This record gives sequence, C-alpha cells and structure tokens, in this order.
Amino acid sequence: MSANGASTSDSGVAIPPAKKESKKPKYSKFTQQELPACKPLLTPGWVIATFVVVGIIFIPIGAVTLLASNGVIKDMDAPIYVYYQLDNFYQNHRRYVKSRNDKQLRGDNGAANETTGCKPEATINGLPIAPCGLIAWSLFNDTYGFTDNTGNSLNVNKKGIAWKSDREDKFGKITPQNFVNNMNSSALGIEIIGGKALPENVPLDEDEDLIVWMRTAALPTFRKLYGKIETDLKKDQSLNIQIENNYNTYTFGGGKKLVLSTTSWLGGKNNFLGIAYLTVGILCMFLAFVFFLVHFRNPRPLGDPSYLSWNRKIPSAANSSH
Amino acid sequence: MGGMDRAPSMSRRGRASMDAMMRNSGADAHLGHRVIHCNDHSANLPYKFKHNSISTTKYNFWTFLPKGLFEQFRRVANMYFLMIAILSTTPISPVHPVTNVGPLVLVLAVSLIKEAFEDRKRFMSDKIINSSCIEVLSGQYWIKTPWSKLAVGDVVKVRSDQFFPADLLFLASTNADGICYIETSNLDGETNLKIRKALERTWDYIDEEKAVDFKGMVECEQPNNSLYTFTGNLVIGKQTIPITPNQILLRGCSLRNTDAIVGVVVFTGHETKVMMNTMDVPSKRSTLERRLDKLILLLFAILFMLCFIGGIGSAIFIDRKWWYLGLSQRGIEEQYNPSNRFFVAVLTFFTLVTLYSTIIPISLYVSIEMIKFIQSTQFINNDIHMYHRESNTPALARTSNLNEELGQIEYIFSDKTGTLTRNLMEFFKCSIGGVMYGTGITEIQRAASRRTGVPIEEAPRSEDYIREKGFNFDDKRLMRGNWRNEEHPDICKEFFRCLAICHTVLPEGEDLPEKIVYQAASPDEAALVTAAKNFGFFFYARSPTTIRVRESHIERLGKVQDTEYEILNVLEFNSTRKRQSVICRYPSGRLVLYCKGADSVIYERMADGQNPYREITRDHLERYGEDGLRTLCLAYADIDPRQYEDWNEKFIQAKSALRDREKKLDEVAELIESNLILLGCTAIEDKLQEGVPLCIETLSKAGIKIWVLTGDKMETAINIAYACSLLSNEMKQFIINSDVKSIRDVEERGDPLETARVLEEQVKRQLYDAISAAEEIRQEQSGVDLALVIDGRCLMYALDPHLRGALLRICMKCKAVVCCRVSPLQKAQVTTLIKDGAKKITLSIGDGANDVSMIQAAHIGVGISGQEGMQAVMASDFAIAQFRFLTDLLLVHGRWSYNRISKVVCYFFYKNLTFTMTQFWFNLYAGNSGQRFYDDWFQSLYNVLFTALPVLAVGVFDKDVSARRAKKYPQLYKAGIDNLYFSWRVLLVWLFFAIYQSLIFFFFPTKAAEHGVNGGLNLGLWDVGTMAYTCIIITVNLRLLMASSSITVWHHVAVEGSIVSWFLFIFFYSGVQTPNLQDNIYWVIFNLMSTWYFWFLIILVPSMALAGDFIYQGLQRWFFPFDYQIIQEETKFRSKLEINDPEHQLEMMAMLDGPTTLSAEEERSLAMAQLPRERTWSKHTGFSFDSPGFESFFAMQEGVPAPAKSWDVARRASMTPRRSHSLARTDSRTGHASIREDIHMPRSSIAEEEFDGDDSENRSFRNNPFLEEQPSRRKSYFD
Repeated sequence: MSANGASTSDSGVAIPPAKKESKKPKYSKFTQQELPACKPLLTPGWVIATFVVVGIIFIPIGAVTLLASNGVIKDMDAPIYVYYQLDNFYQNHRRYVKSRNDKQLRGDNGAANETTGCKPEATINGLPIAPCGLIAWSLFNDTYGFTDNTGNSLNVNKKGIAWKSDREDKFGKITPQNFVNNMNSSALGIEIIGGKALPENVPLDEDEDLIVWMRTAALPTFRKLYGKIETDLKKDQSLNIQIENNYNTYTFGGGKKLVLSTTSWLGGKNNFLGIAYLTVGILCMFLAFVFFLVHFRNPRPLGDPSYLSWNRKIPSAANSSH
Repeated sequence: MGGMDRAPSMSRRGRASMDAMMRNSGADAHLGHRVIHCNDHSANLPYKFKHNSISTTKYNFWTFLPKGLFEQFRRVANMYFLMIAILSTTPISPVHPVTNVGPLVLVLAVSLIKEAFEDRKRFMSDKIINSSCIEVLSGQYWIKTPWSKLAVGDVVKVRSDQFFPADLLFLASTNADGICYIETSNLDGETNLKIRKALERTWDYIDEEKAVDFKGMVECEQPNNSLYTFTGNLVIGKQTIPITPNQILLRGCSLRNTDAIVGVVVFTGHETKVMMNTMDVPSKRSTLERRLDKLILLLFAILFMLCFIGGIGSAIFIDRKWWYLGLSQRGIEEQYNPSNRFFVAVLTFFTLVTLYSTIIPISLYVSIEMIKFIQSTQFINNDIHMYHRESNTPALARTSNLNEELGQIEYIFSDKTGTLTRNLMEFFKCSIGGVMYGTGITEIQRAASRRTGVPIEEAPRSEDYIREKGFNFDDKRLMRGNWRNEEHPDICKEFFRCLAICHTVLPEGEDLPEKIVYQAASPDEAALVTAAKNFGFFFYARSPTTIRVRESHIERLGKVQDTEYEILNVLEFNSTRKRQSVICRYPSGRLVLYCKGADSVIYERMADGQNPYREITRDHLERYGEDGLRTLCLAYADIDPRQYEDWNEKFIQAKSALRDREKKLDEVAELIESNLILLGCTAIEDKLQEGVPLCIETLSKAGIKIWVLTGDKMETAINIAYACSLLSNEMKQFIINSDVKSIRDVEERGDPLETARVLEEQVKRQLYDAISAAEEIRQEQSGVDLALVIDGRCLMYALDPHLRGALLRICMKCKAVVCCRVSPLQKAQVTTLIKDGAKKITLSIGDGANDVSMIQAAHIGVGISGQEGMQAVMASDFAIAQFRFLTDLLLVHGRWSYNRISKVVCYFFYKNLTFTMTQFWFNLYAGNSGQRFYDDWFQSLYNVLFTALPVLAVGVFDKDVSARRAKKYPQLYKAGIDNLYFSWRVLLVWLFFAIYQSLIFFFFPTKAAEHGVNGGLNLGLWDVGTMAYTCIIITVNLRLLMASSSITVWHHVAVEGSIVSWFLFIFFYSGVQTPNLQDNIYWVIFNLMSTWYFWFLIILVPSMALAGDFIYQGLQRWFFPFDYQIIQEETKFRSKLEINDPEHQLEMMAMLDGPTTLSAEEERSLAMAQLPRERTWSKHTGFSFDSPGFESFFAMQEGVPAPAKSWDVARRASMTPRRSHSLARTDSRTGHASIREDIHMPRSSIAEEEFDGDDSENRSFRNNPFLEEQPSRRKSYFD
C-alpha cells in the first residue's frame, strides 16, 4: 500500500488542533509493549532436562508398543487377519484416485447414471457403468482358501473388514450395472484385463472387498484386509492355503503377498511405531548424557557479559596487534 | 567580492524568470484565458466552470471493484496467484479451483476492505470540507452556503481564521489599507503569516451594500499548478487593472489577524492551485522487502525445480504396463498418453505448478502489512518514551512500510541547527571594551573538559541572575546599573544602545518589560534586544521613523527615562554585507551609526588608531568561537551632520534607482559604514538539544555512523561535533577546506577558471592524501578512528563523478564526517552517495525546509516535529520531537520491528516450504502424477486460517530483549546492520529444517499406516493425508512458539486457537457428506481418532519434527550464542527483577500519570515553545547568516516558482546531480563561489518600500514575492 498516515492536508484544509489537550499517549501495556510474557530460554540445563523427560516418556511407550506388536509370535488368537499385499501398485496415481464417482456409489435415486470423473471406465457402449471408474474396474480378484492340518477348511469372514462409515454412508444400495468385468470380453470385442467381477444382485454396500479396495492406499506398497479367520491358531500349526492367482501384477512387475496377522490393542502387528519411539527415546537419553558431560566439563556461564561479541572482539584485536 | 558575487546570481535569476515567462506565455497560447464575470451568476453559466466540491477519493462506487482489483493485481504475487487460480480451473489441475481461488479471494478481500476503509475516510473528510459553509453574496445579503455550491464569479466573505474555500481574487479587507494576513502552512508548511494586498480600486467593496454593486470582469490564466504566479487583469468599467499574485488568496490558506475579507472566486475545486499540486507521495520500500523479493525468486526457482523434476518423472513413469490406469484406450488425455511423453511432462509440469503453488506464501504480504500497520499506529505513535512534554508532541509514523528499515540503519545524516541544537538562541556572554562578561559554561566546554580531563569551575549563580527566553546571562557586573562602575562605562552604554537600537525587531504587546514580546526576523536578534532590555535599555516601541527606549541608570542609579531616537536610515542585513547598520539621531541631535555584524566585516571597517580593544576582542571572539558560541561584533561611528546630508542624497538616489538598485545601495552603504569604533562582541549560545550527546554516543555504540551536514561555518560545525562527541582529539581528522590562504590568494587574482582549477586540484590531492593516510593507519592497526571535515565548496568538487569514488572511499573509512556550508542539494547528494554508492542503509534527520531534499533522498527520512515549520515533517517518513528520540525509534522500535519482520518472513518461508515439500515427497511415490496428498480445503485454508494468526502474534508481540536493555546495550543493534536475522544463512537453516520436517511428516504417517490398525482395518490415502496434515498444523504452530522470544497470552490464544480451529474444522468437515464433491474426507478424523495409530503419531511426529530445531537452537545458544541471547540470560539470571528497580519504578510512574489535559506548567512551556513560530517568519535569516535559508525561499528570490512540494527538491537532488553540478561549475568559471549561491540571504527591499510605499513603487515590486513575506514589519508601519 502506498504511504498512509497523516496526509490529511491533501484536501487543502486541516482542522487546527484543540489547543489545550495533551497529546501524550495513554499508557497501556499493549501500546507500550509491556504485556506480561513468559520468556523461555533454551539453556543447556533445559535442553538436557527436556531430553531426559522425552527419553523417560518415549522409551517405555516404545517398549510397550514393541512388546504389544511382538506379543503375537507364539499363538495366534482369533481373530486372525488375512491381508493381501501388493507392491509397485500405484493406487495413489492421480488418474486412478479420481476415477470414481462417490455420488454413484452412495446409490441415491438415479445415481447409476452419475459417471462424471470415471473416465476411462465411465460408459460402455453408451451405457453408464456402475460402479464406474478405474478403481472399481481393477478390483483385486485373487482368492484364498485356508485349511488346517486336519483338512478342515477355515472360514474366512468377509464381514466387518471395511470401515463402518464407508459401509453405511459412502456405499449404498446400488447394484452393479454394465460392469465391464462381468461381461464377456469376446462379446465386447475388446480385451478386458480388469479385475474381479461383481455379483449382479449384491448391493455395493454389502461388497466389502470392493469397499476396502476403493479406500485407495497412500503408497504403492500397501496391504488390504482380505478377511478374518475367527479360529485360534496354535503355535507350530501348519496351514494349507489355496491361492487362486487371478490378478495381473506381472505386466508391471508388481509383487503380491499374503499376510496373516493377529491384532493387539495397538492394531495389527506393526513394529514401526514401537521402534520409532524406542529409537527417539534412546537417542534423547544418549544426547542428554553427552550434553551433560559437555556441560559438566565445560559449562558456559549464562549471561556472562564477556561473551558479548563486542567484549570478545577487543581482546582478540589486542592480541593480534601485539 | 560582493560585486563578483552578484553578477552571476543576477543572470541566473534573469534566466529563470525568463523561463517562467516563456512557460506562462506558452500556456496562454495553448489554452487561452478564462473570463469571469464577477457577481453575475448567469453570465458565467456558458463557460461551464468546474464546481467547487472536491473529491480526493481513489474510487467511487462503480470504479471501486475494477480499479481496486487492478491495483491489487499490479503486485506480482497477486498476479501469480491469479494465474494459478485460472490454471486450477482447467482439467490439468489436480485440485479443485477453490484451493487456489479461495485464499486469493480472501487476501484480495482483506486488501480491498482496507482500501475501502481508507477511501471512506477520505470520502468523509471530503464531505466535511465540501459541506463547510462560507458566506456568499446573494442579492443583498451574505448567505451561508456550503463550499461545494460555490461557483466561479461568486463574491464571498471570509472571516478571521476561516479557510479560503477556493482561489479568490482579493477585493477588500476590513483593514483600512486593504491588506490581510494569511497562513500558508497547508501549502508550504511555513507557519509564518504572509501578507496580501487588495487593489486599491476595490478597497471599498467590503460591505454588502457596496459589494452588490461590484460588477467586474476578470481575465486570467487558465488553472495551473504554479503556486507563486498569477497573471490576469481585472476589468472594471473601462479600466483594466493588472492582477498579481499579491491579490490572490489560495485555497488551503487561512485568514489571520483580519476580521474579514471579500473576494471573488476565480478557480474552484480541483482547478484550484493547491489541488492541482497534489500528487502521490512516492512510496519507499524497505530493504528487507526488497530482499524478500529475492527470497520469492528463490522460491520460484525451487518451485520450478520441483515441477521440473516432477514433469520428467511423470513422463518416465507413464507406461502402458500400468494396465489398471487404463492407458491403452483410444482417445486418452494427452497428459497420460504414453506415446507422447513430452506432452505428459509439460502438462504435468503445469499440474504440479498448481499443486505446489502453496510454496509461495500468498498471505505473506497481507500479514506483513497488518503487522507493520499495528507496529506503527499502535506502538510508534503511542510510545510514551517518544512523547515530548514541552512541545506536546508524540512521535508519528507517517508511513508504515518502513518500520523494519529502522532496525538496519547504518548511516545517519543529521542537520545541525534545530536538530542537534535547539535553535533557541540565548544571549550568553559578551565582551565590552576588552572585558569579558558572563560566567556560564557551555555544553561544549563541558564536553571539552570531559575530553581533556581538566575540570572547569562553575561559578555559582548570582542573585541577580535573570533567565528568560533568549537570555541566559549571568554576571552581576553588568546588571542593575552596575556597569556604571566598570572600567569603561561609556563603552558599555554605547554597547547597550547599539543592542537596543540597531535591529529590525518589532515590539508587541504591552510596553512592560515582563509583558513585551519581540518579533524578530531571527532568534539571534530577539536575543540581543532582550539582552538590552535586561541591561536596562528597554526597547518598547517603534514607529517608521523612531525607536523608543526606556533607559535606566543613565544619569544616576535607579533613574528611568524614556528616550526617543530618530531612525534616519536602516542599512539592511544581507549575506554579502554580513552586517546591519542603523543611523539614528539622538534627541540631543547627535548623529550615530550603530553597526553589528560578522567580525571580519567589522574589523575591515574600523577607524585607524581608535580601537584599543581590537586585539583583545579578537582573542575573545576566538574563545567564544571555541566554546561553540555565535559571535557578532558591535561598533559605532559618530557622523558629521553635513557629511550625512551628502551621503543621504546618494542613498536616496540609489534607493530610487531602477537598475542594480541593490548593488548601488550596498555601495552607498559602504561609504558611511567606515571609521567604526569597536565596542565589543556578543556571544549567543545555540543550545544543544537535551540528551543529544548521550544519544549520539549510544547510536555510535550501536554501529551507526553519524554525519553532520550543516550550512554553518566550519568552526561552529566542528565545535558542535565535539560537543556531541562525534569528533574527539584522539581521532585522526582530515580537514578539506576551501577557506585557506592558498585558495584565497588565487581568488584574489580574480581568475575564476584558475580558482576552479586550483580548488579542484587541491581537493583531489587532499582526498588522495587522506586515503593513503587512512590505509597506513589501518595497516598499523593502531585502532585510531578517522574523521573527515569538508566544506561545501570542496564537496562540490569532491562530488564530481571522477572524484566521487575517492570521496566515498575515504568516507567509508571514517567514523565521523562533518560537512559544513553545504546547500540543501548537496545534503541530498551526500545522502545519495552513501545510499547508492556504498549501498548502505541511510537515515536523514532534519527540521527545516533545507533538509527536505536529504530527507527524501535517504532510505528513511525523519523530521523534527513540534517546532516551527512543517516542511521537513511533511516530507518525512517518521516525525519525532527531539533528536534524542532516535534512540527509541531505532534501537527499540526499529530493532524489534526488524527482528519481528525477519522472523515472520523466515517463518512463512519455512511453513509453506514444509507443507509443499510433503506433497512433493508424496508425488515421488505416486508416479509424479500430481495427485494431491491433502484435501482441497486443507490446502486452501493452510495459509489463511490454520497458520495465519500466530504469525501476527510474533510480528506484533515478539520481544527478544526489553526496551531498556536494547538501549542499555546498543551494540545489539549491530545485528540489524549486519542483517543477521534475514540472511541467506538463516534462511538456509530454516530451509534445512523445513525439508527435514517435511520428510518426517510424509514418511512417518505413511509408513506407520502400511499395516492394519484397530480391527485390522486399513488406512487409505486420505486418512494418511489428514494425519500428516494434523501433524503439520500442530508442529508448525508449536514451531512458532519455539521461535518466539517472549510468549504472551496472545501467543497462546493464537497458537492453541489455530490448532483447535483445525480440529473444529475437521470435525465439522469430515462429519458431512458433500453432495457433489468426492467424499474423501468423510468421517476420516473420527476413524483416525478411534485408532491408537493417531494418538501415537500425534505425539511422535511433532516431537521428532521439532527435535531437530530444538537441538539446533539448544546447541546454537550453548556454543555460538547471539548477543541478544546473552542479554536475555543476563536479564533472567543475573539481574534483579526489573519491578524492584527504582529507575524502572520511576519510569513506570512517569508513564502511568497520564492527564488528558496539560498541567498549568506544561501549558506555559508549550506556549513558550510555540512563541517563536508565531513571531518568526523564518529562521536562519537575519543574523544567523551561517545557515542557509529555505529552499523555497531562494527559488522565490530568483523569481522561479518554488518547488511546490518537497519531493520535487528531492527528485532534483537524486535524479539530476549532474545538472546541478554543471551549474555549479559554470558559476565557478564566472568567478562566482557557487556555494555562496546556495546560502544567499534575502536581499530585503522592504526598507525602500517602507519609506516610499506609493503605488508606482509598489508595482515595480509586484514580481518580487519577497515583498509579501514580511507581515510583521509591514503591519507595524501601516499601523
């Protein structure tokens, strides 16, 4: 902005000031910049103390977390979570992420025709696809079957693998229509290397595989919940797993993994947080120790005027001149 | 010398007036003239003159939006964001348009609201002005009419103290002689009254009965902006009378000391001269802001790099093998077409530009503006420490864009008179008949004694000691008639009579010694007359031909008698003569010439053999000079009546000469001013302002170099510099002076070319000698400080382009520089030399119009307010009442402001970089597709909501050390000069931690989310994004607390408030499903909060992110502490609580008692302080011939229109130094010492006018605006 201030004389007229009034500014803590303030100084003592405190807090948290995470090695108590893991699969690619229509998925009246943003899987032969978009189209379609060493097949529960908010609000009573994966590719005349076909009469909010899949992952390596085995597995128990390998990860050199995991109060087996806490905590303690040594052996007196630059310079200048 | 002086100046004057004429005639030829029928509304209608309402607003209702937006988009940053906003509406944008449009709209809205607010203020003040009333003649009566209804040709009546509503032709005044007094402070800032005189033909039209009959026609020039010219004729009947500026009353001026006047409206509204003169003040930008531009450029570079990497990356990534991306279809968008990777790269580049646009902090400028606005309006303007009780003047920040510049000043250029000194002249000592009188000790003597260590004995005040304005003399030998007992009572008597008679002072008020007020051309003169009064020679009345003096103790002690002296001639002061004489006739018939003037001129004219005190007085003069006193010699001569008659004839002839009158007058005066008998000398103290030496010492401790630029002579300047501890004997001083014998010898030979050559050579040699001496000293490392003293004439040569480099080199080595006898223009040139030549940040401080040019030329101009004259203040960026307030302005406000703004800018840089970099890391893992990591709203509200307020808190409240400590340890200021807080090094540290933090913000939430969370459920992109964003908001806000030196409750409100506002926002935002957008964020926060993942990360991530800064800050303070940090520790651990400090308590008490009205004592002191501005028509005239007068004054003298606005001067100074230089060279070639040119004193022609003030004489003076400048004198003679 241009200069402002007392340029009232622009108009050529100034009102003469009242004569006797004092122009002394009123005292206020604000205008005199004397608001009470706390002035924290990061002195060596504080630095060391902070590190000690952080160490004391973080190390136990890390240890507990790690224990919780690693406590699942011996027995696997139900529920056992079955994950599939994909590597090098870019669910977070911009083209992929936006290729869906939430309005359609919600299944309001006439929503089936809502296919904006679903390109290139919006329509087929002029008919709207539901669920449209690349995400739904590329739905993971490997299947896993589990039998224990006695040959009893273990039931994999597919319910409750998606977030409640997704199931109840984001996906609605809309059934698949013109879903490309459900079609015969030769009949269409084009090659469809899509994913899983969707049962025609199951509304989307009941197809939790789809719901899980459509909560796109943040990184190109991700796990998705396949189901839950609700039987305890004992230590050393062997499992037979039948894998139907449908999903094409070969073209792009992606990897697939099957992961069984129980959960602790923390969630799935995840050492990451525990290690992070422990590392940070130990590092803090270590730094506190080092700093303490330094402080102990070579303390800097606080607020010593001889440390001021102008006080330091003089002796050095004098030294150099002699 | 005098004659030589004159010739070139006359020719220059002639040239200028020719130019003016050419311009005027040219204008006339183009535009024709305007014809106005006075008092005849209908006759004027066909001409369609402009109406008289004015509008100073920038916008009106319709133009506000287009024009206001246009103004906003002239800023590069806003333009950039407009482009981004446009980009974001295209399909290549990864974000919803709201992301980029939203913040832009908000920022624009804030700016526009501010504009609208300011414009409304202007509108309201216009409205008040337009609706103020004036009496207009309508039919038989004066009818009160609003100004806006006034039309050209109307006859109006303006009463005392009213403002003129338009440019008027002055017809008649209630004063019988048709004159009136006007105040022009709105035009030129000068508070003295000026005189206007109506044409005799129209004097009668003062009453409505008469005025009704007035039917005239005015033919005049078209409206123009020249304030000091007017050409036109008044046609009454068959008579045509020329109109001069003397009959024109300009809008903006006000009527004073006159009951009422009647005038005809000539120019109205925007066509008035004052309105045609308004232009925009050129706005200065601070150095920090210019550096900020570079930072923005850096950010653009980073942005470009990120986008470039991303663009290439995306082109490499795109491949048909990613079957799930559906890249094989026909008709695929170009951005994803694997067969044309070039397009992919280019389009993705733009996608990423849109995505990463947050790297440029959009709200930075708005935030900084708000911060600076608060700083200047709330803090600087309200600082009690900068309030001056005596003049009732608080500090005033006239601009708010330069606050932080105050914290980086390295050079201060200061005027002397009125800035370092009070310009309050006091009669201090005198020497009469070879005896020194007066016991006082000057500030300079004290400084000298401090320097040398020799204590001076201070005599106790005598019981007779009288102290009043202008008189600070203590010596009972002269008081109460004691002088009769002195060695030479007769000489004393003559001395006092000379003081009482030889002057041009006017007495005002009652003729009692306590009540009388002297109205003098200069404070020096008033002081002398006041002294005479106190010695018992009370001058109390004056008529055109007499002076009346009430003399005490003449015949015997205690007797008082009134004596009337007949004043026969007044030989006026001017700069060539450097003296003033009065020839008077005693009642006894004795004819005496009293003369006072500079020692050199008096000594030249002394009678041979009759001056026994010649040598001793010279000694005294020297001693007074050393003490920093201003000296004048007093002399008299008895005149033989017959001789006088002869001479008077010549004098009258010279006075009525039509050509070269002044020259002839000077020559005639020379004849009578001879055979003088020396009486003695006076010594007047120009007192240093309170606290100046301390302030200068503090400032130089702060690493600021202070230069004194003054029009004074070298001795005075050096003395003052000593007194201010600028110069000391320990310093090696280089003096480059033109007033040396070798040059005088050359001058005497009279060859101007030769003189110029010798001068130039001398200056050159001296400069190079000084440089080599300085180098030597530096090599010896003896630590001797250097100082340079240079006079204006040498400076003129030193500023020549081929010597300028050398001058700069030596100046940079010097701790103190004193330039004396410099002109206003040279002041500006010196300022520009350091500003542009050395690229240092400069501040100029001054109080008078002669300082305006340097005030405008420097980075920061400071005006001394609360004194006479407003020009310096009007041109300044900051106005303070006392020089010593610079300490507070620079060391406290400037320093804090610089620290704060630096912090704010660095912080902005950091927070936006951190935020943007997380998106960059994410995109490295998303095929560089331009996918956003955060929701649109997160991105758009990041700058304007969740991180906006805390920055303001830092910008407004941050205090590293207290104000008292900032002043106690001025060295802390050096950090600003060295730009420690906004250097690339500092930014690099911030950059490093921004990248470090962004890595943590991206990798920790994503890595931790790879595995399932509660109930084995998976987190998706938006969950992780929201998690990361939450961590960023928390961290970035806490980081601000870590950056704060002092944390007030407002910091907490802002920081915690911002974090809470984020949660409130996300609770609401993720709680609803948006009908048309994607539901990415739906319920995300609640899902997150139901997991341990969230709670663990929310502790871990901010801790880890801040740990880096924490360790850095800790180690930095520990091992490489900044000075301010040591002071902080000292404050906290080593000193008692400030509350218990008695000094502090006193200060607090002083601040707390805040009466809204002045106490009786204050009121009196205020009235005292205001006295000289009413009485003095300008300073530095009369006898203060050491100082140059007003810039505008010279211009008027030379017949050219004065610079209408102060910045014209500055423009000339800063833009065309060559021109002024060549001008100076020309002068010197013609033998004219050009520095003298600039300090010409008024050649008063008043004297003649007084004596033969008939109309014909008057006309010949018409073009001499000088004539109008002396209301006081005129007034009394006409009385």
